[in-house]
Formats: sequence, structure tokens, C-alpha cells
Amino acid sequence: MDDRNIQFMFWGLATAWGLLAIYVVMLAAREGRLKKQLDSLKRMIEEKQ
Amino acid sequence: MTKNIRLVLGALVGILLLRNLYVILFNLPDEMEQGPVYRIFYYHLPAFFAAILCYITALVASSMYLIKKNLRYDAIAMSATEVGLAFAAVNLTTGMIWGRISWGIWWAWDARLTWALICWLVYFGYLMLRQAIDDPTERAKNSAVLSIFAFVSVAITYKAIEWWRTQHPGPVLSIRTGKQLIDPIMENMLYMNFLALATLAVLMVIIRLNQEEMQRQIDGLRRRAHAI
Amino acid sequence: MVFLQIAAKDLRSELRTKESLNASLSFAVVILLLFSFAFDPSSEAVAEFSGGLLWLVFAFAGALILNRSFARELPNDCLEVLIASPVSGAQLFLGKTVASFILLLTIEVICLPIFGIFYDITWIPQALPLLGIFALGTWGMTILGTLFSALTVNLSLRELMLPMLLYPLMLPALMAAMRLTTILLAGNAIAGNDMVWLRLLIGFDIIFTALSLALVETILVR
Repeated sequence: MDDRNIQFMFWGLATAWGLLAIYVVMLAAREGRLKKQLDSLKRMIEEKQ
Repeated sequence: MTKNIRLVLGALVGILLLRNLYVILFNLPDEMEQGPVYRIFYYHLPAFFAAILCYITALVASSMYLIKKNLRYDAIAMSATEVGLAFAAVNLTTGMIWGRISWGIWWAWDARLTWALICWLVYFGYLMLRQAIDDPTERAKNSAVLSIFAFVSVAITYKAIEWWRTQHPGPVLSIRTGKQLIDPIMENMLYMNFLALATLAVLMVIIRLNQEEMQRQIDGLRRRAHAI
Repeated sequence: MVFLQIAAKDLRSELRTKESLNASLSFAVVILLLFSFAFDPSSEAVAEFSGGLLWLVFAFAGALILNRSFARELPNDCLEVLIASPVSGAQLFLGKTVASFILLLTIEVICLPIFGIFYDITWIPQALPLLGIFALGTWGMTILGTLFSALTVNLSLRELMLPMLLYPLMLPALMAAMRLTTILLAGNAIAGNDMVWLRLLIGFDIIFTALSLALVETILVR
């Protein structure tokens, strides 16, 4: 019973960290994507000028 | 320059969170009745307060948008809501896991869990609405109104569900707020972790805001690029 | 009272075809039928959630009616004309709310005897208080629903977004209405502890009527 208790504790803490980590990863992914779009657009405009 | 501030802040938050985790796992005593599993609470409750902080920020930002019509407030409202949802999800899931051990079931229709779920759905609806509107001004206007309604409704729902659940003695009600825990060491850790999570929330909102600014730049450049 | 004229116009337009009314009413009856298969009408437990069942039916029927509220103005640019006209946004909004309210209340009043028959529930002694609760709950639903109808009118997923936004937000009113209706259908009067639900329902109606009237102009102005 005590073992299960500790197991659930780890799952609980892992979930808290995990969900926040997932959101951080989502933010980082979006950041990368936006940066790429921004850079390619800037290049496109420079080329056209 | 702001990138450096963000990195420093991020590093600070990371260190604080890791330090807290260490203390939570090794230095704090077990709770009398529940055993080690109660340590989930050190994330469960601070996440809740972080989410509330975000939702209040969203309310203020939405109201400011309706008054000032500055799209920056709209971006703040959206970022705050998104980050709030992330922390609310932490609150919900940790609550479920803790409940599984404490009550033996994954879900219970007690006041707090039910309200937390509804609150999450309401603010998720806010994001859904935003996705459905293309024009930035329309989107800002309509989602600002929704945000205000959401906050008021969620506040009223809180009271309603409390009355509902006290009529039906359900499973063990969630533990009272940290103010009533006897051991000051535990209470202190709650505040420490709240500090960590709240700072993390602020950092995330700033990052998200920055991304919105980038998106706006992209939209502007795209128009220019296609005009040339 | 311009809003009454708007309400009359909407009602007249609806009664001409009875499109929404028929669809909503048939839908409500079908759901009542489905519920009687899902929840055994003869069981003792039904008394516990009779109000809940009834209000679920009203909520689903309501979504159909509320969706039409602003959507009916889309063909021929009627909505643009209405917004541009001297009629204030609040009057337009209030008028449409009243129209939806009357339509929905009518459907509810028709559903109640049907429900009474399917579930063998005597409601006649409590008819007046029931009507009162229906009115209060329906007002809460229509005031929020009409606002969201305006909000979602231009969205392609309007039929989905309206219920998705409306139901969680009207939950306090829905809960209160469900509880109070269950109490009345069980043959009891609303008293003592249960008054808190009545106060919640009335408070909800007042708060959201005020909030909606204050903010509707923002939504309607393009």
C-alpha cells in the first residue's frame, strides 16, 4: 500500500512537471516556426528590392 | 536585450523549481494520514493560484482592450488565458491523481474538481472562439467580451457548486487552503512553489506575447511582400 | 419601446413559417423520448433528476432557437441594415432576447405535459411556481444565448460554437433551474435552504442582463 502511495506521488509530480514541460515545448516550437517565417519573409522582401 | 532578461528569469525559475523539488522530496516530513502522496499538493494548489492569477490578468486586459482599443491588451489577454489553461490543467490532473489515492476514484463531483473542469472548458471556449475569427479587430472585440462573461460566470459557478455539493455530502472535500495547515514548514513550501510557478507563468506570458508580436510582424511583412 | 417592436417583428417572422418552432419542438419531444429509454421512467430515482432531464431538453431545444436569432438576419444584409439603423444595439438585442424567450417558453410549456405523461409526474398543483422557474431559467438562457448568437453569427461553425460557449457559461442558472424544478415536480414548495437557488437564479438573470446590455453595442458595431 505504501509502495503504491509513493508510486502515485511520482506520477503526480511527473504530471505537474510533464504538463508544464509540454507547454514549454509548444512555446519553443511556435517560436522556431515564427522565427523561420519571419526570416524567410525578410529575405524575400530584400530579394525583391 | 529582452532576450537576456528572459534567459535570466528562466534560469532563476528553473533553479527555484529544482530547489523546491529537492526540498519537497527529501527534506519535508510525511503528512500524518496520507503518506508521501500528499506532496502532489505542493504543485496542485500553487498551480491553481497561478491559473487564477492568469485569469484575472486576462479579465483586466480584456477590459482594457474594450476601453483603449489597443491590440496589445488583446494579446495580453490571449497569452494570459493560454498560460492560465496550462496551469489549470496541472491543477486538474494532479487533483485527479491525488484523488485516485485519497478517494479511490479518478473523478469525483466535489465542488472544487467540478468547478475546475467547468472553468477550464469555459476558457478553452475562449481560445476556440479566437481560432474561428480571422479579422484581428473582430477577434479582439468578441473575445474580450467573452473573457469578461467567462470570469463573471466562473465566479458565480463557484458559489453555485459549493451550495450544490454541501447539499449532497459527497466524498472527502478537498483540503482547506494552506492557511490552515498546521506545520509552517509545509506552508512555507507552498508559498515558495507558488512564487516559482507564478514567476514561470509571468515568463510564459511574456514569451507568448512576444510571439504574438512576431506574428503581427509576419502578417505585416507578408502583405508587403505580396504587394511588391 | 422599440425593443418590443423588434420582438414583434421576430415573432411575426417566425410564426409565418414556424420553421424554428416546429424543428425545436419536435427535437425536444424526440429527446424526451430518448431520455425515457436512457433513464427508466418507472424507477424511484427519476424523482431525483426529473428537473435535470427537463432542463436538458430545454437547453437543447433552446440552442436551435437561439442560433436562428441573429442568423435569420444574414440573408439580404438585414443585419447590417439593422445595425446601421437608428435602433440602438441594446434595443435590437433586447428585442431579439424577448422574442427567443417567448418562443422557448412556449416550447417548454408544451413539453411539460408531455414530460408529465412519459414520466408519470403530476405537475398541475405546482403549475404556477413551475412557470415562474421556467421563466427565470429561460430568461437566463436567452439573454446569454442571444448575446452569443450575435457573437457567433458570422462564424462558419456557428451551430457548434453557440452551444459550446453558452452551456458552460449558463451553468449556474441551469443548475439552479434544475434543482428548483426537481423540488417543484416532487410536489414540494421552495423554502428554507432551497431559497438560495432561487436567489442565485434571480441574481444570475440580473447580472447578465446588465452585463449583456452594457457590452452588446461593442459586439454589434463592425
